[in-house]
Amino acid sequence: MSSITDDQLRTLYRTLLVFATVGVVILAIGLVEFAYFERPGQSSGARVHIAGVYQFDPESKQPVGPDRSQFPRTEEFAAVVDWSSLPSTLVVDARWYDSFGSIQGQVGPATPRELATHSVIPVEVPQGLHYVLPGRYTFVVERLQDGVPVEVLGRRFVVVERS
Amino acid sequence: MITTTTPPAADPQSRLRPRRYGIAFAIAALVVLALIGSSILNYVYLDTIPGRASLYGLLAVALITLGTFILVRAFNRDRAMRRKHLIRAGVLIGLGVLLWLLVIDVFLFTQSAGPGVAAICALACLPTTAFGLFVVRRMDRNHKEPWRLVLVAAAWGAIVATSLVVWGETIWEGSAQHALVPGPGLDTSLAFMAGILEEIAKGLAVLLLFLVMRNEFDDVVDGIVYGAAVGLGFNFLESISYMTNLYSVFAPEGAGGLAAGIQWYGRQVLGLFFGHATYTAFIGAGVGIARQLPSVRQKVLAIVAGFVIAISGHFSWDAWATIFPIQNTLFGLVEIHLRTLIMTGPFTAGVIALLLFGIRYEGQNLLDQMRKEAATGHGAILSQEVPILASPWQRLKQRLQAFSRAGLRGYLQVSRLQTAQLDLAMERWHRERKEIDTPLEAEQQLRERVMQLRHWVAA
Repeated sequence: MSSITDDQLRTLYRTLLVFATVGVVILAIGLVEFAYFERPGQSSGARVHIAGVYQFDPESKQPVGPDRSQFPRTEEFAAVVDWSSLPSTLVVDARWYDSFGSIQGQVGPATPRELATHSVIPVEVPQGLHYVLPGRYTFVVERLQDGVPVEVLGRRFVVVERS
Repeated sequence: MITTTTPPAADPQSRLRPRRYGIAFAIAALVVLALIGSSILNYVYLDTIPGRASLYGLLAVALITLGTFILVRAFNRDRAMRRKHLIRAGVLIGLGVLLWLLVIDVFLFTQSAGPGVAAICALACLPTTAFGLFVVRRMDRNHKEPWRLVLVAAAWGAIVATSLVVWGETIWEGSAQHALVPGPGLDTSLAFMAGILEEIAKGLAVLLLFLVMRNEFDDVVDGIVYGAAVGLGFNFLESISYMTNLYSVFAPEGAGGLAAGIQWYGRQVLGLFFGHATYTAFIGAGVGIARQLPSVRQKVLAIVAGFVIAISGHFSWDAWATIFPIQNTLFGLVEIHLRTLIMTGPFTAGVIALLLFGIRYEGQNLLDQMRKEAATGHGAILSQEVPILASPWQRLKQRLQAFSRAGLRGYLQVSRLQTAQLDLAMERWHRERKEIDTPLEAEQQLRERVMQLRHWVAA
C-alpha cells in the first residue's frame, strides 16, 4: 500500500470522525434541550380532575351529551375541568393539541381560582377551515414555572374521525 | 472456514469472509424476527387497518427479501445457473411487489384517501425518485454500481426499512405522549425517535450489502451511492404515505390536492437529495471507508461515526426545523427553501465533500493500477488507453466515436470494454491492498474477458 493512499484514506477517515464529533455535539444539545423542557424532579403531587370531553354547542357555549373519546369532524367538542381540584398557589394552563402538535385552544396561564370561570375549554376550528382536522387530539392541564410548562397535571386523548 | 484457496487468494490468512457472512446472517435473522414480532403486535394492539396491512404485508416482505437475496447472488454464478436463479428471483420479487401493493392499497391508503389517490401519489413520486436514483448512480464516475444492487438498496429503503420502524416508533411515540409535557420536550423526544430508529432501519441495508456483496462495495463512493439509494427508497414510500394522509385530512375542506401537492414538492423536489438521501449516504460513507481500513477497531469506529452523523442530521431537522417560522405570505415560499438549505444544506455539503474526495482518491488509485497493468504487457490495458480510461469525459468521447462509427452496438461494446478494464483495475487495487478474498484466478478471468471484448470491438 503506498503512503499516498494511506494518507488519503486517513484524511477520509478523520474527516468522517470530525463530522461525527459535530454530530455528537448536536445530539448533546438535543439532550440538554430535552432536559430543559422535561425537568427532572418536577412532580408537585397535584392531579387535576378532568370531568370529561363533550360535544360543544358553539351557540350556547356549553357542553352537550355524554363524556366521549371519539367525535366526527363535523362536531365541535370541549373538555370540562374542575379547577377546584387543584391547589390555588399553582400557575396552570390548559391546552388542546392536534395531531400535528399545533395548539388548537387554550386557557391560562393563571391560578386555578382565576380560571374558575373557564371550566369549559373548546377545541378551536383552525382559521380558514370549516371543521376541526381529523386525527388524535391531546388535552393537557399543565403546571408552569417561569412561563415554561414543567408538569402535566391531567391528560385526555380524543380521536376525530376522518369521515 | 476457508483459510486456503487454489490458486492463492490475495489475503490467504483472511477469515473475514466466513465471519462476515455469519454477521450478515445474524443481522438478517434479527430483521426477520423484528418484522414478525412487529407485525403480530401491530395486529393485536394497533389500529386494525395498519395492523392488518402490517400482518398481511409480512408475506410480501418475506417474498421480496428472499427474491432480492437470490437476485444479488445470481450474478456470482455461472451462466447456466444464473438464468435459473434470475427467473426464480424475478417471480418472487414480482409476487412480493404485487402483494405489497395490494395490501397497501386495500388496507392502508384506500381507507384514508382511496386507491385512485394512492396510485396518483405513487405515480407522481416515481419519476422524481427514478431521477434521484439515476443521479446518485451517475455520481460514481469511475466505476458505476450495477443497477440491480442500486434498486435492491432502494427497495429495502421503501419496503423493509419502513416496515421495520412501524412498531418501534409506535411504542416510542405512544409512551412519550402519555408521559411527557407536550411542546418542545416531546418534539425533541420524537426527533430522537425518528433519527435513531429510521436511520438504523435504513443503515442495516447498507451494512448487509457491505457484508454480502463485498465485491460490488469498493470504497466510500460506493457506500455513498448505496446509502443515498436506500434513502431515496425510504423517501419514496414516506412521501406517498404523507401525501395520501394529508389528502384525506384536507379533502373535505376542498384542499386535499393542494396539501398532497405541497408534500410532493417538499419531499420529492426540495427534499429529494437533502433529506433521507443525505442522512443514509453518511451511513454508506462510514461503511465504505470501513471497507478499506486495516484494523477492526477503525472499521467499527467508521461505521458508528456514519450512523452518528446520519442520526444527528435527521434529529436536527425534525427537532429544530420549526425554529424557522414560515410566514403565511408569498415570502413564505422563499423561507421554506431557505429553511431546507440552512438546516440540511451543511450535511449535504459534507456528504458531497466526502464524495468528491472519494472520487479523487478512487480515480488516482485506479490510474495507478491501470499504469501497472499496462506495464505488465498482458494487453488487457494498453498504455495509450490509460489517459482515456482515467477520464470520464474521454471515455464518453470514445464511446460517442464508436457510436458514430458503428451505432448503438458499437457504443455498447466500447462501454462494456471500458467497464471490464475498470473492473480489472479495481480488482488489482483491492488485491494490492489485501482487501479481497477471491483467488488470483479471478483477476486472470477479468483479463481474459477484457481481451475477448477487445476482440469484439476490433471486429
